[in-house]
Amino acid sequence: MTTTEPSNIAKANVNTNRSLPIVENFTRRAAVKGGFATLGAAAFVAAISPLRQAAKSTTAVEFMQQHYTELSPEQKADVIARLEAETKEKYGADVTIADDRPIPGTKFVYAINLSVCNGNGKCVEACHKENNHDRSTNQSYIRVIEMPKGTMDMEKGSTTYSGVVPKDDKFYLPVQCQQCDEPPCVDVCPVKATWKEEDGIVVVDYNWCIGCRYCEAACPYHARRFNWKQPEVPAEEINPDQSYLSNRVRPVGVVEKCTYCLHRTRRGKLPACLEACPTGARVFGNILDKDSSIRWILENKRVYILKEELGTKPAFFYYFD
Amino acid sequence: MSSIPVKEAAITSYPKFIGRALWLATEGSFAFYAWMTALTAVFLVGANAWANQVAGGMISTNMTDHVSWGLYIANFTFCVGLAAGGVMMVIPAYLYDDEEMHKVVIIGEVVAIAAIVMCTLSVVVDLGRPDRFWHLIPGIGKFNWPMSMLTWDVIVLNGYLVINLHVVGYLLYMRYLGRKPNGWWYLPFVFLSIFWAISIHTVTAFLYCGLGGRPFWNSALLAPRFLASAFVSGPAFIILVMRVLRVTTGYAAPIGPARTLIQIIRVAMTINLLMLVSEIFTVLYTGSAHAAPLNYLFFGAHGKSGLVQWIWTAIGMNLLGTVLFFTPAAMERSHVRILACLLVIVGIWIEKGMGLIVPGFIPSTLHEIVEYSPSLLEWKVVAGIWGLGLIILTLSLKLIVNVFTGRMELHPSADKTSVS
Amino acid sequence: MPRIASLFFAVLLCLFASMALAALWQSGTRANMPASRTDKAQVSQASVHSNETHPVIIRKPSGPPRIELAGNDPQGLIASVACSTCHSVRQANLENKTAATLDEFHQGMTFNHGSITCYACHNPNESDALRLADGSSVTFENVMTLCSQCHSKQAESFAHGAHGGMNGHWDLSRGPQMKNNCIDCHDPHVPKYPKMIVGFKPKDRFNEPPNAEDNHKGTAAHDNH
Repeated sequence: MTTTEPSNIAKANVNTNRSLPIVENFTRRAAVKGGFATLGAAAFVAAISPLRQAAKSTTAVEFMQQHYTELSPEQKADVIARLEAETKEKYGADVTIADDRPIPGTKFVYAINLSVCNGNGKCVEACHKENNHDRSTNQSYIRVIEMPKGTMDMEKGSTTYSGVVPKDDKFYLPVQCQQCDEPPCVDVCPVKATWKEEDGIVVVDYNWCIGCRYCEAACPYHARRFNWKQPEVPAEEINPDQSYLSNRVRPVGVVEKCTYCLHRTRRGKLPACLEACPTGARVFGNILDKDSSIRWILENKRVYILKEELGTKPAFFYYFD
Repeated sequence: MSSIPVKEAAITSYPKFIGRALWLATEGSFAFYAWMTALTAVFLVGANAWANQVAGGMISTNMTDHVSWGLYIANFTFCVGLAAGGVMMVIPAYLYDDEEMHKVVIIGEVVAIAAIVMCTLSVVVDLGRPDRFWHLIPGIGKFNWPMSMLTWDVIVLNGYLVINLHVVGYLLYMRYLGRKPNGWWYLPFVFLSIFWAISIHTVTAFLYCGLGGRPFWNSALLAPRFLASAFVSGPAFIILVMRVLRVTTGYAAPIGPARTLIQIIRVAMTINLLMLVSEIFTVLYTGSAHAAPLNYLFFGAHGKSGLVQWIWTAIGMNLLGTVLFFTPAAMERSHVRILACLLVIVGIWIEKGMGLIVPGFIPSTLHEIVEYSPSLLEWKVVAGIWGLGLIILTLSLKLIVNVFTGRMELHPSADKTSVS
Repeated sequence: MPRIASLFFAVLLCLFASMALAALWQSGTRANMPASRTDKAQVSQASVHSNETHPVIIRKPSGPPRIELAGNDPQGLIASVACSTCHSVRQANLENKTAATLDEFHQGMTFNHGSITCYACHNPNESDALRLADGSSVTFENVMTLCSQCHSKQAESFAHGAHGGMNGHWDLSRGPQMKNNCIDCHDPHVPKYPKMIVGFKPKDRFNEPPNAEDNHKGTAAHDNH
């Protein structure tokens, strides 16, 4: 390598002084370099051409949309109208997306009676249908663990059970988002795409989430799901009663989670998983109402929470009869 | 100071400097062209793979809701270590006035620049919505600082990149102009970069160890372990770079710097291994449920043992590399040294990358075991990232060699006695 | 020159510090914003909270069971037999505890409700009704009163929404709630809740169950790009 150095030094040094012979080489060299540079640039454009495909599925308006908490009512109405139109276009279903806000004076708490739950999974299926989850993966926010009696160690449990339930020596532990009072997922989100609302529900603005999945890593309860692909739901199966922060059909590349069916509960209805439970193991209500069933449970049953040592303060309790 | 009749304004001469650097960056031997073409090809394959991932969704990776971070974040973790390793040249050079190290410290800094670029790319390719990157910009988006450790990471990584770009750019530019660099313009940044380098890897470790739901990561020892392994992989990589430089361009560093680096590697690797033993003992002796990820990693669990060969290979490579580093042959310019460097780099990539990120998710928080091995698309994207990083590194090194050997000078002079 | 450089450096540091402070301040004020926005929106919701309380509707059986006959009566209608058809003219066996001795219209009935006798619940004096432990009659429509007399714990839980499923609203000011009665889920003769078959499982990638034949419905199990 060192043998070529002197001549190169000479060329580099004298490009301001010499004339014709060097200028000729300079031009040819420049042309060759320019040619390869153009080739490289063209190859790069060709390589990333699938991005153009991706760009088609989004609009400038969607790109510039601000955070949910900073939208004025008019902007929200525009966003919702756009989302309803997009759902019609992509899925062929007419939907109504509402903007359900918390009812003042409510804090939602959920409880499950583990003496009664028999692991049948109807809650899992109801969540799947209510929240417009992707059909091919049978996605749901609820996972049920089959646990051997005599231990609370999930290491001994299994989610891949099937067949006839309940098995004699097992009890069943459904787990979903605990709507923690100190949610680790809210702390770690770099763009504040997820936050806890006044009625206790931790929500996600699907149009703000950047898909980094830090919240999914932080959640101790496996409550979060990521849209690895565009959800596929047939038009006739889409639940048309939707809300911006909960069960509208989510875009690809964003995180989602159980919202205690806020599109139902913020209108006073029971969540879908509770209605579907055939054994009546689930109890839901407003903890601030002293006459509510959930208040009675917390005052009269020996309730416990999952992973209490982590300090997440879940709003989800388990008890036995 | 050289005697110059007219002083050109920096605003016009700096772009000329960059322009000339780029011009000379595209000149070299046939081997150089082959190397750069190969890297470009790899980079284009990676870019195309990533574009396909963005278009089709991340379903084309093998990540799942159980193992939601994989090869990309593993590579990110390793590259942050590489970037932090450059500080092990800066400290001897500037804090201990190691004259010989002064001549090559800039190599450590450009390795840091290339590594930071690879870090940033590794995170961008992992985003589900890279088009929403602007949501991270404070003021325009919503930046969850100081609560989210990811925001700290964004700040420190970009800051470290800016510091190194400034220091390297300034020193090269001054050398190109033939002027003595003014200490005030770069020394404060160099000293800042010492603390900053420690902070980039500490913050990255805090990303993981702050998560209570992931007991494999939730250890106080994670940040020190990160730093210890960074101070092995970084200097080892720099030694390899210096060897390649010497072999391809003849630009030879004195023998002192590499020896200093190897002494640092010896100490850091011993500490790293000690910390590893400490972690293993603490988890296995207690025998609690928190041992599950470690059991899965080293021995397999519930019939699933996908990572067992990987981690034992990594441990073997690390141990062998450490032993080789302690031999006298490593202190000389030898094949032993190169082999040891390669062994620890690969060993630490496995142990810190795949051997740290993936077991954090296995078993999942509900104690399910869902295994993960990267898909072909993920390998392509990471290869592309390394391709781009090596392109940047090669071009920066070429610039350094050109400037320091006087091939690239504003006012060419016969004597090249000035050193920075 | 050194002075200008250090001045420049100091300005840079101040810039960074002010950016950090601005980000902190912004995060503080923005945290308050959601509350203020929702307060305005909530006004419309609050007014719905009227004084009217919707009922909790508990299903009731329609009456005593009747056995349908195989044939039709002379008018062509399906004939059915009430309990009192036979039992008003027959002697009651107050000690009978099993279904083994029962025949005619009780054929095929199973009984597994502890060791109580038939007439612990059934009323020998009024066959189309039931009776409590003190002998007082209770109609089939009010069968829950009879169940609650022994199973008071479950009855208490039921009253507080903690036993048995429900549909409808948690907020009774917005809508009613429907609940089942005891015998909708528990057959009084064999009250143990029947076993079920798991109908719906998530199909996760790379997470096949150990006995894969039951769940091998989906394609996702072996997807490996």
